[in-house]
Amino acid sequence: MIERDDDQLRNGFEALRRADAAGTPSFRATLAAARTRQATSRRHRALRLAAAVVALLAAAVVWTWRGRDTARLRIDLATVRWQAPTDFLLTLPGDELLRSVPQLGSRGLDWRSL
Amino acid sequence: MSPVDLTAELEQLHAAAFGWALSCCGWDRTAAEDVLQASYLKLLDGRARFDGRSSFRTFALGVIARTAREARRRSALRRWLPLASLVFGPEAVDGRPDPATVLVRADETARLVRALGRLSERQRQVLHLVFYEELTIAEAAAVAGVSLGTARTHYERGKAALRKLLEKERE
Repeated sequence: MIERDDDQLRNGFEALRRADAAGTPSFRATLAAARTRQATSRRHRALRLAAAVVALLAAAVVWTWRGRDTARLRIDLATVRWQAPTDFLLTLPGDELLRSVPQLGSRGLDWRSL
Repeated sequence: MSPVDLTAELEQLHAAAFGWALSCCGWDRTAAEDVLQASYLKLLDGRARFDGRSSFRTFALGVIARTAREARRRSALRRWLPLASLVFGPEAVDGRPDPATVLVRADETARLVRALGRLSERQRQVLHLVFYEELTIAEAAAVAGVSLGTARTHYERGKAALRKLLEKERE
Protein backbone atom coordinates (compact mmCIF):
# COMPACT_ATOMS: atom_id res chain seq x y z
CA MET A 1 0.00 0.00 0.00
CA ILE A 2 2.97 2.30 0.35
CA GLU A 3 3.36 4.40 -2.78
CA ARG A 4 6.58 5.57 -4.40
CA ASP A 5 6.25 9.16 -3.19
CA ASP A 6 6.04 7.85 0.34
CA ASP A 7 9.74 6.94 0.33
CA GLN A 8 10.63 9.93 2.43
CA LEU A 9 8.13 8.98 5.10
CA ARG A 10 9.20 5.37 4.91
CA ASN A 11 12.83 6.34 5.46
CA GLY A 12 11.85 8.51 8.41
CA PHE A 13 9.93 5.66 10.02
CA GLU A 14 12.77 3.26 9.29
CA ALA A 15 15.17 5.57 11.17
CA LEU A 16 12.66 5.82 13.99
CA ARG A 17 12.38 2.04 14.14
CA ARG A 18 16.17 1.67 14.32
CA ALA A 19 16.36 4.26 17.10
CA ASP A 20 13.60 2.54 19.06
CA ALA A 21 15.16 -0.88 18.54
CA ALA A 22 18.41 0.34 20.07
CA GLY A 23 16.61 1.22 23.28
CA THR A 24 14.24 -1.74 23.46
CA PRO A 25 14.45 -3.57 26.80
CA SER A 26 15.09 -7.30 26.50
CA PHE A 27 12.09 -9.59 26.23
CA ARG A 28 13.11 -11.62 29.29
CA ALA A 29 13.49 -8.48 31.40
CA THR A 30 10.08 -7.21 30.30
CA LEU A 31 8.46 -10.54 31.09
CA ALA A 32 10.16 -10.74 34.50
CA ALA A 33 9.08 -7.17 35.31
CA ALA A 34 5.53 -8.05 34.25
CA ARG A 35 5.47 -11.07 36.59
CA THR A 36 6.82 -9.01 39.50
CA ARG A 37 4.28 -6.34 38.79
CA GLN A 38 1.50 -8.93 38.73
CA ALA A 39 2.52 -10.29 42.14
CA THR A 40 2.78 -6.77 43.58
CA SER A 41 -0.54 -5.73 42.13
CA ARG A 42 -2.24 -8.86 43.58
CA ARG A 43 -0.78 -8.05 46.99
CA HIS A 44 -1.88 -4.41 46.70
CA ARG A 45 -5.37 -5.47 45.63
CA ALA A 46 -5.66 -7.79 48.63
CA LEU A 47 -4.40 -5.05 50.95
CA ARG A 48 -6.85 -2.54 49.52
CA LEU A 49 -9.70 -5.02 49.93
CA ALA A 50 -8.66 -5.78 53.52
CA ALA A 51 -8.42 -2.07 54.32
CA ALA A 52 -11.89 -1.48 52.89
CA VAL A 53 -13.36 -4.37 54.91
CA VAL A 54 -11.69 -3.11 58.12
CA ALA A 55 -12.97 0.42 57.49
CA LEU A 56 -16.50 -0.87 56.90
CA LEU A 57 -16.40 -3.01 60.04
CA ALA A 58 -15.07 -0.10 62.10
CA ALA A 59 -17.83 2.15 60.78
CA ALA A 60 -20.47 -0.49 61.58
CA VAL A 61 -19.10 -1.01 65.11
CA VAL A 62 -18.96 2.74 65.82
CA TRP A 63 -22.48 3.21 64.51
CA THR A 64 -23.85 0.33 66.61
CA TRP A 65 -22.09 1.41 69.82
CA ARG A 66 -23.14 5.00 69.42
CA GLY A 67 -26.78 3.88 69.23
CA ARG A 68 -26.39 1.67 72.30
CA ASP A 69 -24.71 4.41 74.39
CA THR A 70 -27.50 6.90 73.66
CA ALA A 71 -30.15 4.41 74.76
CA ARG A 72 -28.29 3.53 77.99
CA LEU A 73 -27.78 7.19 78.90
CA ARG A 74 -31.47 7.92 78.49
CA ILE A 75 -32.47 5.07 80.83
CA ASP A 76 -29.87 6.04 83.45
CA LEU A 77 -31.04 9.62 83.58
CA ALA A 78 -34.64 8.57 83.98
CA THR A 79 -34.20 6.05 86.81
CA VAL A 80 -31.14 6.75 88.90
CA ARG A 81 -30.97 9.39 91.60
CA TRP A 82 -27.58 9.82 93.12
CA GLN A 83 -27.24 10.54 96.83
CA ALA A 84 -24.06 11.87 98.37
CA PRO A 85 -22.97 10.31 101.71
CA THR A 86 -23.00 13.77 103.30
CA ASP A 87 -26.59 14.52 102.30
CA PHE A 88 -27.76 13.93 105.92
CA LEU A 89 -25.85 17.07 106.98
CA LEU A 90 -28.25 19.16 104.94
CA THR A 91 -31.27 17.83 106.82
CA LEU A 92 -32.32 20.26 109.61
CA PRO A 93 -34.27 19.26 112.73
CA GLY A 94 -37.98 20.00 112.17
CA ASP A 95 -37.41 20.18 108.44
CA GLU A 96 -40.78 18.52 107.76
CA LEU A 97 -42.61 21.42 109.44
CA LEU A 98 -40.98 23.90 107.03
CA ARG A 99 -41.97 21.89 103.96
CA SER A 100 -45.61 21.29 104.91
CA VAL A 101 -48.45 23.85 104.94
CA PRO A 102 -50.03 24.29 108.41
CA GLN A 103 -53.77 23.66 108.49
CA LEU A 104 -55.48 26.28 110.60
CA GLY A 105 -58.39 25.18 112.80
CA SER A 106 -57.48 21.53 112.65
CA ARG A 107 -56.31 19.48 115.61
CA GLY A 108 -53.00 18.89 114.00
CA LEU A 109 -51.29 21.71 115.95
CA ASP A 110 -51.88 21.76 119.72
CA TRP A 111 -50.93 25.19 121.21
CA ARG A 112 -50.60 23.64 124.68
CA SER A 113 -47.77 21.54 123.57
CA LEU A 114 -45.69 24.63 122.66
CA MET B 1 -1.87 -21.75 21.48
CA SER B 2 0.27 -23.21 24.29
CA PRO B 3 2.04 -20.87 26.74
CA VAL B 4 5.41 -21.89 25.28
CA ASP B 5 4.30 -21.06 21.70
CA LEU B 6 2.74 -17.84 22.91
CA THR B 7 5.95 -16.78 24.66
CA ALA B 8 7.98 -17.61 21.53
CA GLU B 9 5.61 -15.55 19.34
CA LEU B 10 5.81 -12.64 21.75
CA GLU B 11 9.58 -12.80 21.82
CA GLN B 12 9.69 -12.58 18.02
CA LEU B 13 7.32 -9.65 18.06
CA HIS B 14 8.95 -7.88 21.01
CA ALA B 15 10.82 -5.08 19.19
CA ALA B 16 7.80 -4.20 17.03
CA ALA B 17 5.53 -4.39 20.08
CA PHE B 18 7.75 -2.00 22.02
CA GLY B 19 7.79 0.45 19.10
CA TRP B 20 4.01 0.30 18.90
CA ALA B 21 3.67 0.76 22.69
CA LEU B 22 5.95 3.81 22.42
CA SER B 23 3.74 5.26 19.71
CA CYS B 24 0.55 4.57 21.72
CA CYS B 25 2.07 6.30 24.76
CA GLY B 26 3.35 9.38 22.92
CA TRP B 27 6.96 8.10 23.06
CA ASP B 28 6.97 8.06 26.85
CA ARG B 29 9.37 5.19 27.48
CA THR B 30 8.30 4.41 31.05
CA ALA B 31 4.64 4.41 30.12
CA ALA B 32 5.38 2.23 27.08
CA GLU B 33 7.19 -0.34 29.23
CA ASP B 34 4.25 -0.40 31.66
CA VAL B 35 1.74 -0.85 28.84
CA LEU B 36 3.84 -3.59 27.25
CA GLN B 37 4.14 -5.48 30.54
CA ALA B 38 0.39 -5.21 31.18
CA SER B 39 -0.31 -6.41 27.62
CA TYR B 40 2.02 -9.41 27.95
CA LEU B 41 0.30 -10.36 31.19
CA LYS B 42 -3.12 -10.14 29.53
CA LEU B 43 -1.92 -12.40 26.71
CA LEU B 44 -0.15 -14.94 28.93
CA ASP B 45 -2.92 -15.10 31.57
CA GLY B 46 -5.56 -15.68 28.90
CA ARG B 47 -7.43 -12.45 29.62
CA ALA B 48 -6.80 -11.64 25.93
CA ARG B 49 -7.30 -14.86 24.00
CA PHE B 50 -6.06 -15.33 20.43
CA ASP B 51 -8.80 -17.00 18.38
CA GLY B 52 -6.94 -17.13 15.06
CA ARG B 53 -9.29 -14.80 13.18
CA SER B 54 -6.38 -12.52 12.30
CA SER B 55 -2.60 -12.87 12.34
CA PHE B 56 -1.05 -13.07 15.80
CA ARG B 57 0.85 -9.86 15.08
CA THR B 58 -2.36 -7.92 14.37
CA PHE B 59 -4.02 -9.39 17.46
CA ALA B 60 -1.12 -8.62 19.81
CA LEU B 61 -0.76 -5.06 18.54
CA GLY B 62 -4.52 -4.61 19.06
CA VAL B 63 -4.16 -5.76 22.68
CA ILE B 64 -1.35 -3.25 23.22
CA ALA B 65 -3.46 -0.45 21.70
CA ARG B 66 -6.40 -1.29 23.99
CA THR B 67 -4.15 -1.50 27.05
CA ALA B 68 -2.63 1.90 26.25
CA ARG B 69 -6.13 3.37 25.87
CA GLU B 70 -7.14 1.95 29.27
CA ALA B 71 -3.99 3.39 30.83
CA ARG B 72 -4.76 6.81 29.34
CA ARG B 73 -8.32 6.65 30.68
CA ARG B 74 -7.04 5.76 34.14
CA SER B 75 -4.55 8.59 33.93
CA ALA B 76 -7.31 11.05 33.00
CA LEU B 77 -9.47 9.78 35.87
CA ARG B 78 -6.55 10.19 38.25
CA ARG B 79 -6.24 13.83 37.25
CA TRP B 80 -9.91 14.38 38.17
CA LEU B 81 -10.00 12.24 41.30
CA PRO B 82 -6.92 12.74 43.51
CA LEU B 83 -7.69 9.65 45.62
CA ALA B 84 -7.98 7.43 42.54
CA SER B 85 -4.23 6.78 42.71
CA LEU B 86 -4.91 4.73 45.85
CA VAL B 87 -7.19 2.48 43.82
CA PHE B 88 -5.32 2.33 40.52
CA GLY B 89 -1.73 2.61 41.72
CA PRO B 90 0.90 5.08 40.52
CA GLU B 91 0.41 7.04 37.31
CA ALA B 92 1.81 5.41 34.18
CA VAL B 93 0.79 7.33 31.08
CA ASP B 94 0.56 11.06 30.65
CA GLY B 95 0.61 11.04 26.82
CA ARG B 96 3.64 13.32 26.48
CA PRO B 97 7.01 12.29 25.05
CA ASP B 98 9.56 11.36 27.68
CA PRO B 99 12.09 14.28 27.70
CA ALA B 100 15.05 11.89 28.01
CA THR B 101 13.89 9.94 24.96
CA VAL B 102 13.45 13.10 22.92
CA LEU B 103 16.95 14.33 23.83
CA VAL B 104 18.63 11.11 22.76
CA ARG B 105 17.01 10.97 19.32
CA ALA B 106 18.73 12.22 16.19
CA ASP B 107 17.37 15.48 14.77
CA GLU B 108 15.49 13.91 11.88
CA THR B 109 13.87 11.29 14.07
CA ALA B 110 13.01 13.88 16.72
CA ARG B 111 11.34 16.00 14.00
CA LEU B 112 9.28 13.02 12.90
CA VAL B 113 8.24 12.25 16.50
CA ARG B 114 7.27 15.88 17.09
CA ALA B 115 5.27 15.99 13.86
CA LEU B 116 3.54 12.69 14.68
CA GLY B 117 2.64 14.11 18.07
CA ARG B 118 0.66 16.86 16.37
CA LEU B 119 -1.49 14.47 14.35
CA SER B 120 -4.76 13.10 15.64
CA GLU B 121 -4.45 9.85 17.56
CA ARG B 122 -6.09 7.78 14.80
CA GLN B 123 -3.95 9.28 12.04
CA ARG B 124 -0.82 8.68 14.07
CA GLN B 125 -1.83 5.10 14.78
CA VAL B 126 -2.65 4.23 11.19
CA LEU B 127 0.54 5.81 9.82
CA HIS B 128 2.65 4.08 12.45
CA LEU B 129 1.07 0.71 11.76
CA VAL B 130 1.52 1.03 7.99
CA PHE B 131 5.00 2.58 7.83
CA TYR B 132 6.65 1.40 11.02
CA GLU B 133 5.00 -1.98 11.56
CA GLU B 134 4.60 -2.57 7.81
CA LEU B 135 1.00 -3.72 8.07
CA THR B 136 -1.55 -3.31 5.32
CA ILE B 137 -4.25 -0.68 5.79
CA ALA B 138 -6.78 -3.47 6.43
CA GLU B 139 -4.59 -4.91 9.19
CA ALA B 140 -4.01 -1.42 10.60
CA ALA B 141 -7.79 -0.92 10.68
CA ALA B 142 -8.19 -4.15 12.67
CA VAL B 143 -5.51 -3.13 15.17
CA ALA B 144 -6.88 0.40 15.62
CA GLY B 145 -10.44 -0.93 15.84
CA VAL B 146 -11.86 1.13 12.96
CA SER B 147 -13.43 0.25 9.61
CA LEU B 148 -11.28 -0.11 6.50
CA GLY B 149 -12.79 3.05 4.96
CA THR B 150 -12.06 5.07 8.09
CA ALA B 151 -8.49 3.73 8.23
CA ARG B 152 -7.96 4.71 4.55
CA THR B 153 -9.20 8.23 5.26
CA HIS B 154 -6.93 8.55 8.30
CA TYR B 155 -4.03 7.18 6.23
CA GLU B 156 -4.43 9.67 3.37
CA ARG B 157 -5.17 12.70 5.56
CA GLY B 158 -2.49 11.71 8.03
CA LYS B 159 0.15 11.43 5.30
CA ALA B 160 -0.73 14.84 3.88
CA ALA B 161 -0.71 16.44 7.34
CA LEU B 162 2.56 14.75 8.29
CA ARG B 163 4.31 15.94 5.10
CA LYS B 164 3.19 19.51 5.77
CA LEU B 165 4.32 19.34 9.38
CA LEU B 166 7.72 17.93 8.40
CA GLU B 167 8.21 20.69 5.83
CA LYS B 168 7.36 23.29 8.47
CA GLU B 169 9.78 21.66 10.90
CA ARG B 170 12.60 21.86 8.31
CA GLU B 171 12.01 25.60 7.66
